[in-house]
Amino acid sequence: MSHTAQPTALKMGIPIPNSKLGLWLFLGTEIMFFTAFIGSYIVLRLGSKGWPTDTNDTHINVFLGGLNTFVLIVSSYLVVVAHEAMAQKNFSRARTYLTGTLLLAFLFLGIKSIEYYGKISHDILPGHIAETSSQAVKKASRELEVVVRDRFAEYTSSGAVPTERPNDIVNLVNQIAALPTTATPPEGVSEGTFNALKESAPVDAELFRQWMNLHQHIVANVSLEVPAVGPEYLAARAELKEGEKLPELEYAEVTSLLTKMKADEKYGHYVTKGVFEPHPIVYGNIFASTYFLMTGFHAVHVVVGMILFWMVLRQGSKLNEKWTDFVENSGLYWHFVDLVWIFLFPMLYII
Amino acid sequence: MSHDAHASQVAHADDHAHDTHHVNYLAIFAVLCVCTALSVILDVIHMSKPVTIVLVMAVAITKALCVMMFFMHLKFEGNWKFVLLAPTTILAIGLPLALFPDIGASYYTPTAPQVTRWAEEISDYQKYHAEHMEHAEGAAIIEPGHVEPAHAE
Repeated sequence: MSHTAQPTALKMGIPIPNSKLGLWLFLGTEIMFFTAFIGSYIVLRLGSKGWPTDTNDTHINVFLGGLNTFVLIVSSYLVVVAHEAMAQKNFSRARTYLTGTLLLAFLFLGIKSIEYYGKISHDILPGHIAETSSQAVKKASRELEVVVRDRFAEYTSSGAVPTERPNDIVNLVNQIAALPTTATPPEGVSEGTFNALKESAPVDAELFRQWMNLHQHIVANVSLEVPAVGPEYLAARAELKEGEKLPELEYAEVTSLLTKMKADEKYGHYVTKGVFEPHPIVYGNIFASTYFLMTGFHAVHVVVGMILFWMVLRQGSKLNEKWTDFVENSGLYWHFVDLVWIFLFPMLYII
Repeated sequence: MSHDAHASQVAHADDHAHDTHHVNYLAIFAVLCVCTALSVILDVIHMSKPVTIVLVMAVAITKALCVMMFFMHLKFEGNWKFVLLAPTTILAIGLPLALFPDIGASYYTPTAPQVTRWAEEISDYQKYHAEHMEHAEGAAIIEPGHVEPAHAE
């Protein structure tokens, strides 16, 4: 299959290496990929009545974002001069520049993870955010329930409180409350564990009662000031005149209850660890979805770029002119990654 | 094989021809840095939202053009760049436009509290912030432009 090159046929092609043409075609698909996300973000934001822009809600830090923009710009510049050095056959200088690019890419991801941590530690995650005050109250109660269940699991998993149904915390609480009056540990439970659990049992039973009380008030939707269950609740309702209602549960009541519980010296640290600050953020979930989708896919692209640069750098002193096109192409890809961030930065951090 | 090598040579000859367009990359880099600083400054100083949006996006487009024209050498490439990039750009814009009527305009169910009780929810939200941000600057929490009166129920 000999292929005789026709001098005229050459002029019909595009005067760039095939690899570069391929990369540009790939960048064409990448443009569509990122425009889909950025465009959806714009469309969703314009279609929302509100959007969380307060940095106390979003935990977005414009200086960290600006710093990351700067980091990417410097790395983009280093890629350009690395390609220039490759074209001038100065391979050791090209390697120095590319090493700088790779290190800056690590720095970018480091700063990014600080930002992600800031969001994760406040539960600013898609689907986790309470958007209204009633959702915030219910979310806090759910989290408190998990705290209680985790505490109770200590008793059931160690065998100190033998039970067939370890998830049935409503019945379990009676057994746990009765634990201090039990003299001897059940078989297979060490004396030390048993005594420690005996000591913590009243605290955990109290924690349960606090949660159950909140839960019952949420179900009945009545203020913490009035009873929510039992004969007292029915009596309070019976006293109501026509058209009257018991006072409703207020968001502020619940936040002050949680603050009080977190300050409790016995079980406070469990509550602090397990229950986030209830903080309604209207349209917070769609914000978090778009934020993590866009920055996450961008970060994946950064990682891919790092692999490309590493492939060049692992050649070490054997780096030669055969790699010039590769460096140019990975440079073009890296500039595209920079380009995406140039638009993400103002859209997510400033506007 | 020989064909490829030949094409590559042609390409490299072309590259050398392009080297006559000597770009001062350091100057472009400086422009990009200044623009980034400008974006942050535009965020820190308080202006009306539309003005900020226009200025910040103008800065972003300037930066994007600098990167594309000089770092990506598009200024010096042949007309193939238009053949390659124009269709993708048009198709890319098509998707958000297609999304807008169904997804963008109503992605929360019409019975969601965020939609039906918007005025109450937003006042709750602002009340909460007023409590927690007494010491902070009295910055507007929700842009007035975004707040719409609640629909009568």
